[in-house]
Amino acid sequence: MSGKFTDVEFMICQSARAVGDSSTVFVGYGMPQIAMILAQRLYAPDIIQVYEYGAIGPEVATPFRRNMMADARNSYRSYCWTDMNSMMAYAQAGFIDYGVLGAAQIDPFGNINSTMIGGTYERPGKRFTGSGGGNEVASLCWRTLLLMNHQKRRFLPKIDYITSPGYLDGSPGARERAGLPAGTGPSRVITSIAAFDFNPESTRMRLVALRDGVTKDGVLAEMEFEPEVADTIEPIEPPRPEELEMLRTDIDPDRVIIGRVK
Amino acid sequence: MEILEKGQGEVRLWDVDEARAWMRENKTRKLIDKVTDEHDAVERFVSDGDYLSYDLSSMVRGPMSLEREICRQRKKDLWIAAKFTLLDTSILVGGGCVSKIDVGFAGLGRPLFKAIEDGRVKTIDWSNGTLALRHKAAAMGVPFLPVRSLAGTDTFKHSGAMVVQDPYTKKRITVVPAVYPDAAIIHVNQCDVHGNCRIFGPSISPVETAMASKRVIVSTEELIPTEEIKRNPGLTTLPYFLVDAVVVAPWGGHPGTTPGYYTYDAENLDEFFAARDDAGVKKYLDKYVYGVKDHYEYLQLIGIERLTRLCENETIREGYRP
Repeated sequence: MSGKFTDVEFMICQSARAVGDSSTVFVGYGMPQIAMILAQRLYAPDIIQVYEYGAIGPEVATPFRRNMMADARNSYRSYCWTDMNSMMAYAQAGFIDYGVLGAAQIDPFGNINSTMIGGTYERPGKRFTGSGGGNEVASLCWRTLLLMNHQKRRFLPKIDYITSPGYLDGSPGARERAGLPAGTGPSRVITSIAAFDFNPESTRMRLVALRDGVTKDGVLAEMEFEPEVADTIEPIEPPRPEELEMLRTDIDPDRVIIGRVK
Repeated sequence: MEILEKGQGEVRLWDVDEARAWMRENKTRKLIDKVTDEHDAVERFVSDGDYLSYDLSSMVRGPMSLEREICRQRKKDLWIAAKFTLLDTSILVGGGCVSKIDVGFAGLGRPLFKAIEDGRVKTIDWSNGTLALRHKAAAMGVPFLPVRSLAGTDTFKHSGAMVVQDPYTKKRITVVPAVYPDAAIIHVNQCDVHGNCRIFGPSISPVETAMASKRVIVSTEELIPTEEIKRNPGLTTLPYFLVDAVVVAPWGGHPGTTPGYYTYDAENLDEFFAARDDAGVKKYLDKYVYGVKDHYEYLQLIGIERLTRLCENETIREGYRP
């Protein structure tokens, strides 16, 4: 969509408002990094960002540098520096409240794909990076936020490859039965036109909020599966001037993640 | 322990007692001078067909000078552990050195993905966390470790993990096997001639990787006296007997960053990631890898002016110096 802000800015601002202060947040690569820096700067000064490479509680220095994770800026003014096995253990032992991840494809139960599309596993049509730390984040954090650019081809009844777990086949207790930690799972899907939660009964994605100027039918038309729809649909507040100012001036002045309004 | 589910990914196992015996026989406890050049280190300790692990990476404190040397020596058929990685996999695959990748993160760049899509390189997908944990299992001298990720996904199916019944609680638990790399390459901040190493800053799994591997080459930004190590042993990350060779490599992580020392070289990285196909990668490798005889010639090619600027531009130093 066009307007006064980019789709990515819209998603980032939504995400930044979705995590509580004084919570621990396992931050994925790329867009989630920017979103959590914004959250910390504006809404959640005592958020504890944690990164798979061993930084706990950094105040990430900006401007954000493209592709960079684990460098001095990313690790700046942390409470603790450790290593990957420790970080995954923190999540596994129940210390991490949120995970924030992006993905290429998602299904109705919040399973996500960042590995491959088309072809076979041995000869994929299009190969991506694979899990990275995403599988751990989606498996082990209490709640996971998923950031998805809203395109029809990304919202599928069945995705090509389940890289990281949502509610698996959607049957009651599917995650626990597979051996994943009890009481975990995706809690919200934030897209460029809408927001979804998961119906606790069915564990299916449920439309709960819409971007200004977007209708329910407009969203459904942009998905290959039909999500549940909440009784009350809230409007999503567009990016606030102070959010855009912070993003464009301090966090990502080169617009490597947020892009430019066309 | 009953096996309830089994991933289909290929795994190379090693008996824990054989591993122990190998470490006893081959990792000298003698305080010898292990300083050598990268050509000698890679020639002696990295062989065709080896399982290779590196630490750290993702353009941060990566053993880039050693990776370039592996390419220069045209090592073949390596099976690599791509845990938290961006540039390394692309360079080693681009150099034709790799036949299999244990994927934590397969990045980055279209030519690497194309090599996988074409079936020129085989992938076995795990996750960053489980790959690091497999190194930890080997480092602990145990055959496998339990973990609560992977389960229920295609990532599990294509990995070599298993789901078993926990003998205590009877619940399902995923287990991942130890991985014993034939060779590890690790870039460190400071090191003495025997291989006592200091790493400053957060990291992936340098200790586990060094303890798990049959042979360990470290490249170091600075060589320091053993007396310095003894004065502040709390700063030692790797004790010397884990290390087989020490290569002095200032700016060894270039074009990536070594935090607190120098920032990354955006211009050079752009040049690499601009490569959209194998010809583009070859052009980069011809210039920066095959076109120079060693790391010092590489540094001359990059130029002292730019290297100095990268140091000046690394303005955040807190935590990276003793």
